[in-house]
Amino acid sequence: MLIRILKNSFLKRPKSVLLVFISITMGAAVATAFLGIAGEVSHKMALELRSYGANILLEPAALEGGGYLREADLPKIKTVFWKYNITGFNPYLFGVAEFSAGTRRERGVVSGTWFTKRLEVPGEESSVQGIKGIAPWWEVQGNWPAAADEAIIGAALARRLRVAVGSEVAAAIHGRTQRFRVCGIVTTGGFEEEQLFAPLVTVQELMEQQGKVSRVLVSALTVPMDDFGKKDPATMSKDEYEKWYCTAYVTSVAKNVEEVMGGSRAKPIWQIASAEGALLKKLNAVMIFLTVLALGASATAVSTSLMASMAERSREIALMKAVGADRFQISTIFIGETLIISLTGGFVGYLLGEQLSELISRTVFNSTIVSPLWLFPTAIASAFVVALAGSVAPLRRALLIEPVRVLKG
Amino acid sequence: MHRRRWLLQLVLKALAHRKGRTVLLLAVLAMASSLATALGIVSYSMGKRVAEEVRKYGANLVVLPESARLDVGSGGLNFGVISEPAYLKQRDVEDALAKSGLKAERSFHLRGALHWKDADLMVEGVNFADIRRLFPWWQLKGSWPAAGETLVGLDLATRLKLRTGDTMELAGKGQTVRLRVSGIVSSGGEEDGLLFLSLPELQRALGLDGQATLVRLMVTAGGDSLKKSAAALQLLLPSAKVSEVRQTARTSEGLLAKVKLLMIMVTAVVLISAGSSVTGTMSTTVLERSKEIGLMKAMGGTRWEVMLIFCGEAALLGVLGGLAGYLLGSLVAQFITRTVFAASAEFIPWMAGISLGVSLFLALLGSLGPMVSVFKLDPVRSLRGE
Repeated sequence: MLIRILKNSFLKRPKSVLLVFISITMGAAVATAFLGIAGEVSHKMALELRSYGANILLEPAALEGGGYLREADLPKIKTVFWKYNITGFNPYLFGVAEFSAGTRRERGVVSGTWFTKRLEVPGEESSVQGIKGIAPWWEVQGNWPAAADEAIIGAALARRLRVAVGSEVAAAIHGRTQRFRVCGIVTTGGFEEEQLFAPLVTVQELMEQQGKVSRVLVSALTVPMDDFGKKDPATMSKDEYEKWYCTAYVTSVAKNVEEVMGGSRAKPIWQIASAEGALLKKLNAVMIFLTVLALGASATAVSTSLMASMAERSREIALMKAVGADRFQISTIFIGETLIISLTGGFVGYLLGEQLSELISRTVFNSTIVSPLWLFPTAIASAFVVALAGSVAPLRRALLIEPVRVLKG
Repeated sequence: MHRRRWLLQLVLKALAHRKGRTVLLLAVLAMASSLATALGIVSYSMGKRVAEEVRKYGANLVVLPESARLDVGSGGLNFGVISEPAYLKQRDVEDALAKSGLKAERSFHLRGALHWKDADLMVEGVNFADIRRLFPWWQLKGSWPAAGETLVGLDLATRLKLRTGDTMELAGKGQTVRLRVSGIVSSGGEEDGLLFLSLPELQRALGLDGQATLVRLMVTAGGDSLKKSAAALQLLLPSAKVSEVRQTARTSEGLLAKVKLLMIMVTAVVLISAGSSVTGTMSTTVLERSKEIGLMKAMGGTRWEVMLIFCGEAALLGVLGGLAGYLLGSLVAQFITRTVFAASAEFIPWMAGISLGVSLFLALLGSLGPMVSVFKLDPVRSLRGE
């Protein structure tokens, strides 16, 4: 009997059912889309902010400028506690060289580095490290170096030496000379424009410093500094220190990296690190507010459309009561209807919402998003709860109906 | 005239007669339009607020003497090639900035060497008031210097074993200055190896009145106009080189574009889904009134007249809902910007138009759609309740 009533109630008034179905679907879709991206957006934004450049600098611990770090220690950066937070790193070896091109001579800095280096670390996924990943703002006219004797020259240095892409530049350090073919000219608006960038191995040979680097830049995802993070680790108790070490503050990640690089000290680059923390905190807060707003709105929309559809059925309820239905039976019919609509609506809404979050993350961040699995039951359950909440008030009113008055019209 | 008043009365009576339904519809419409207003205001001011936030990444333009080498950037990658010193006149830069009409925060820097004990120290003259505002990332232990005081970079302080409170006597070409160390500064960049004192003091000590070696500018600009600003300023400063710091400038542009796009997408998704829900609710309430429409038609009302009555109702609801939504939405937007950015949201009058528009559009769409199908009904049948 109940099933027959439900079946006919759907079939006889397809339009009203469809309208309620649409609003539940839309509500569930928005909820799914927002819950799906809210978590991801902060991660994506953090990755986005990494394009401002490295936030940790590793340099030799010796204070008087000199000293080197070992290149052989570099792969260890991929094995530290915070390895998944480290999005990239890049070594540099600096030397002051006499450049000559044609008849022009100029003193400048030659800098050995990685451009795109495939790094294989046993037990870890292979990754690509180098300037391209760590300094996306470089505007290179020409190509990136592929061979050992190719180099990228800074725009200001290139102007002074009057070289263009394809020219040759010789660099001399302590009597040793290396010829480089210029394959690209870089514009950054910073000190990079005064340097010549060549593959690390070549510069190590030129300077006779095999296996040495003078600086390493590390780009790491970090959490904003709070009052606790600002405390001096030296004054912390054991528990506090553990908590500090296990929170991805820029200082603790720096400490972590410093430990694996022999003879190094790590400094946060505060210009990048502090601005990033502040910005990230605010973007996250906005996202949370928007999620709350969107969820609230979809909940209201769903419950009001249910209320509207219940209100039109007072005659039907009166008739049911007149033929002897009790409160329980009437409630069962209406809750059954709501259950069916909200389950299908929640399901379709989930599918739609997943597409929506996919669309947002593709257009904004150029990357796909993986909706967490728990979202599926959550979407359906929340659609049901919201729908039920929306139908409580009209149902209560419906149960108070005086059959005679309504049937009289 | 008489007819119009009759119509108006009909509409008002219809709304007043079923208070529950009217309140429900008003609430839904106000909800949708307040959502539109709040999201609109928040996304509109997001652009500005985030632009303000990314300024904390540092200067986006630098001005330096033509012959000088570029010496700016983040992090300690600067290898410090000592080049022939070259100077800019502070006046020239100020004049050029005034003439170009750029909105730019500026900070003047003068680099030089002062003799201490038996070594030369790299010192930088700055205006500490500007530094505090434009370089919020400096980590300072101690206090900001007053006259006759200095800040020492962390690395330099460790190397020279300097502490807060020490005094040092520095000799320059112009005169010798006695300074008290008021604090130790660290930034993770080249600042760690420098000694800072106030610009006029260093200018006097070096005998370089009114000169600077570098000017950092933080230009408020959107889109590609930063490049244009740089070019415009370059024309006014022939003796200098104006360059765009790509690390901060380009990255900020990219980030701003992403944030704006995200806000637009989010707004669109929420509005479309809330809008369709609202339209649905509106339609439900019209569908249930097919009997009423049948009665009107049976009494000789034309389609046009019936439509007018229903649209009048919808429009009235739409306008009221839109107004309420605008007020509510502004409050919500105000709350969000206040909590997140600690700044009050802008008052955008034309948002009221959008809010009204959204609410009217949804109300009319919701009642016109089902009406088309109701019109197809035979009045006799709908009166009989079939």
